[in-house]
This record gives sequence, C-alpha cells and structure tokens, in this order.
Amino acid sequence: MMNWMNIELILLILMPILTAVMLCFSSESNHKINITITLTSISLELYFITALLVSNFAAVKNASFFLQYTIGRAESPFVINFALDNLSLFFSLIVTAAVFLIVIFSVKYVEDRANQFFALFFLVLAAIQGSILTADLFTLYLFIEAITIFTTPLIAFKKNETTTRAALQYLFYGLIGGVFFFISIILIYFELGTLRMAEVAAAFVNIEPGMQLTIIIFFLLALLIKLGIFPIHFWLPRAHSACPAPISALLSGVLLKVYLYIFMRIFWTVISFTILSRFQLHHFILELALFSSLVGHLFALQSDNLKKMLAYSSIGHIGMILAVLLLNTKAAFYGAILHIIAHLLMKSALFLSTGYLLQTTLSYQISDLKGVGHKNRSVFVAFIIVCLATIGMPPLFGFVSKWYVLLAFLESQHYFGAFVVGAGSLIALIYYLRYISQAYLTFKGSETVSIWQENLSFKEFFSSFNAMKAVIYLFTFLIIFFGFSFKFFSMPIDTAIFELLNPQKYIDLVLGG
Amino acid sequence: MFNNLIFIILFMLGLYTLIMKKNLIKMVIGLNLMEAAVFLWVIAFSDTGGRISIHKLAETNFNFNDPVPQALTLTGIVIGASTAALLLTLIIELNKFTGTIDRDQIEGLND
Repeated sequence: MMNWMNIELILLILMPILTAVMLCFSSESNHKINITITLTSISLELYFITALLVSNFAAVKNASFFLQYTIGRAESPFVINFALDNLSLFFSLIVTAAVFLIVIFSVKYVEDRANQFFALFFLVLAAIQGSILTADLFTLYLFIEAITIFTTPLIAFKKNETTTRAALQYLFYGLIGGVFFFISIILIYFELGTLRMAEVAAAFVNIEPGMQLTIIIFFLLALLIKLGIFPIHFWLPRAHSACPAPISALLSGVLLKVYLYIFMRIFWTVISFTILSRFQLHHFILELALFSSLVGHLFALQSDNLKKMLAYSSIGHIGMILAVLLLNTKAAFYGAILHIIAHLLMKSALFLSTGYLLQTTLSYQISDLKGVGHKNRSVFVAFIIVCLATIGMPPLFGFVSKWYVLLAFLESQHYFGAFVVGAGSLIALIYYLRYISQAYLTFKGSETVSIWQENLSFKEFFSSFNAMKAVIYLFTFLIIFFGFSFKFFSMPIDTAIFELLNPQKYIDLVLGG
Repeated sequence: MFNNLIFIILFMLGLYTLIMKKNLIKMVIGLNLMEAAVFLWVIAFSDTGGRISIHKLAETNFNFNDPVPQALTLTGIVIGASTAALLLTLIIELNKFTGTIDRDQIEGLND
C-alpha cells in the first residue's frame, strides 16, 4: 500500500522545517548563503506541489484525485495521517505560490537578522502546509498552535512597544482559541474513540444531539476567534499592522485563507453541514459574519493608519467570504473560493506595495503618504490598480469574484448579504480614495521625478528595477489577467466544490486505502 | 460528576483571572489555569481504574487506561509550557519599553 510517490506529501512539511533548522544554525553574516538556501527551498516547495498537480492532472480533472501518507503501521488505530484531495491540493497550491512571491519580495526587503526572519517564516510555512495536509484532528490542533506560536515573534520582529503589545495580544487570543479547539477535539475523542477525520466524519451522526452542539460551539468559538469575526476582532488589525510588510501579507493574505480552509474542512467534511443546520446555527453565524463585514469596512473608514485600514478591510472581506460559504449552495462556494483567490492576491499585493512605498518612513500614518505618488510613480500606479480591484472595478479580478458572491446572495434571496457586498464596495471606494488623493498632494521642497525619467526611459527603468518591484508588478499583472480569464479557475474550483459537497468520497478513500 | 465540578470551578477561575485581573503576569497564570483544568479533566475522565500499560495489551485481558488522552495531554502540556515562556518573554520586553505590566496602562497608550 505504501507508495514512494506519496512521500512528497511529508516532504512538503519536512522541507521548510529542515530549511528553518539550517537557517537557525547559520550565522547572520553569511547573507548570501542564507539567501541561497531560502530561495532554493521555496523553489523546491513550489516544484513539489506543482509536480503533484501536473503528474496527477487527469485525476484532478475528474475529481478523483487522492493521495495519502501514513506514518506508523497502517493497521494500528493510532497513526499520523496526511491526505491530499482536490480541495487541499488547491489550497496548498495557491498558498505555496503566494508564499513563494512573498519570500522573493522579502529577500530584498529584510536586511538585518535575515536568517532569524526566514527561519521563523519557514516554520510558519511548514505549519501552514501541515494544517492543510493533515487528516487527523489532533495533528491539526498541533499545527494550528504552531502557526500561532511561530507568527508571534514575527509580529514582534521590529522590537518596539507597539509591535510587542500587538504580539502579546495576538498570542493571548490565539491561545484561548487553542484551548477551545483542544476541548472540542477531546470531547470528540471521548465520544468516538478516534481522531482521524474520516472516522469522525462517518460516526459523528451517532453522537447525542446535546454533545454535538457542545462540540460544534467550541469549534466555532475557536475558529471565529482565529478568523477575527466581529465581537473578537480587535486583536487582528493591531497584529496585522504591527509586523513587517511581508508578514502582514502572510497573515492577512495567506493565513486567514488557511483558517477558512480549516473551517470548510471541519464543517463540511468532518461535521457535515446538515448537522450544523439542524441546530439553526448557520443562520446565526451568517448574520454575524455579515455584520462583522460591515463593521470591518466602517472601522477601515475611520482609521488613519494605512496598514490598519488594510487590516480592517481584511475583516470586511473575510466576513463576506464566510457568510457566502454558509449559504451552502454551489454558486455560493464558487463565489467564495473565487473571492478567496482574489483576496489572497489583492491583499498580499496591497501590503507588499505599502511596504515598498513607505520603506523609509517609520510609521504608516496617512500624512506619511504625502507626495509618494510623485516619487514612485509606477509602483503607485500598481497600488492604485490593486486598490480598484479590491473595491470591485469592472475588468479586474476583484470585480469578477464580488460579482459571483453577489449572484450567490441574490440566488438564495438573501438581500441583506447582497446589500453588505454593495455597501462594502462603496465604503471601500471612499477610504481608498482618501489615501490615493493624499499621495498626490505635493508639498514644498519635494523632488519629483518626471514620468519620462521613471518609466519611459528604458535605461532608467532597468537600473531602478529590483525584485521587490518585480513581485508587485507580477501581482498586479495577475490581478488584471485573471480579471479577463477567471475561467482558468473554474476547473479547480469545481473539483474543490465536488469535494465539499461529497464528504463520503473522502471518508471512503481514507478508510479504504 | 465530581470531576466535572472541579473542572468547571478551575476553568471559570482561570477565565475570571484572565478577564478581570489587570496584571499581565496574573493573566498568564489565568490562561495556564484554564489549560491545567482541561488537562486535569481529560486525565480524570479517561481514568477507568486500570493500571496496565499498552504494550501488554496483546497478551492480557486486564482493564487498562486508554493511553491516547494521556499522550494528548502530555503534548498539550509541552505546548502550554512553551507558550507560557513566550508570553512571559513578551511581557518582559514590554516592561522594558513601558516600565509597567498593568494591562490598562499599556492598552490605552496609543491606539
């Protein structure tokens, strides 16, 4: 049964850990070696996951793709199990691709203590891959805790008062979420005697309703804290705005999507959605998520700090995605997953370009943006394009995904949801324009570069070109490109939706193989 | 019943400390108390009065305690210890910057 091919699954987790160990023991002074190790490792990671897709493309296409790797004797009841199906392959792929670009950006961006930075970064990557690939609830708990623990030092990477406070708060709330998660998986173990997701999924119906409700409530508490949904959201903007730009992109762009994946995995595969809807909880969570979306957008409006504004806008988008997922229709899943990709690209691009534009200023207040539009014309144009995509301007990717979300709300006749999507876009238009107009204000003594010098002269363009700019341009290009050819994603999304709607396939394959 | 009562009392005590106390170190103690309550409850709940370890399972029919909750708890304790260390490190760092470990004074500074 054991197939050597499947060892790639465990390599996806082990590779970043090994890289982190190597970077940890290497000295800070051999900068070039550290960078080489980092780039090699992240390229290999991307290669592994792409090779998995390419070599199994036929199986992926007809939604029968499945791989698993078991540590320990397969016949024993307690094993560590990793499984990859269409949904997790899709998420693993987009997460690895985004992290690859973020790493290339941060190679240039992070200069001091680069080895510590990348060691922690790769540990977070390993934990993310682990929590996507795992087929076991306790391993999932361990990886979620690992994500929380390893991101905390990264938030406090620039040692000052604000970052330390944000990191402390982030860690407190993360750990409380972890305790709730632990309680609920231990309750599942006492009820069913197993922690493998497939076995739990097959037997969860047999638990008595009161205990089912308790388990679901603890899972919900844990995941809503991690996702930053309204009543417990205040740690998120502080944490996401305190850290260096690549880490903001990682937390806001990538990590929130991983928690959304875990939400889907738990509430559609492990605990089927019919059980959630039997307690009428999904209506409550849906309204809460929509309210959270509105609150996030409103707070973004009053924020005077650029990064904090972006983080609040993340709360708005995540609330919208969660709400549309809970509609539980095919159109809703399509819109939600499309918006997950769009938000991943847009928020990473926004945080990275913010980091690049405000590299020299110490804070990210709105007044620091003054004149930025004249100094870095081309990067700022990219920033504006991404802003417009986030608002939902027609030919761009953000419009397409928001359109499908809107269609899903209208199809289910949930008009409050449709209102929130529209109102969110309108509020977003106001707060992004505020910052963009600020950037084109000129003040005395500012030296402006003419557009000829900056862009149209090839010599200037290539001499000022670097990896950071390349990553920002690539993100912007992808956002424009996928706006026209979003059908590119229809096959992977359809197979992922098939996986969500047919948990029985997952159960059969894990238990049968 | 007794187990559940102790669990609820300890857990609520931890939650109370976490929410009501102003001292950050006391908040860490509260969080650890919550974790300890959960671990204690897991161990007490999984105790079926047996004592034999799992590797004799194949040859005997004796009553034995389920080792999985114990293993989970052990892992949980390790995580709890490391997170407590991380929290205390951050509190020390914060104390260097602000000179206080009072939650109200620290949170109200600049938002």
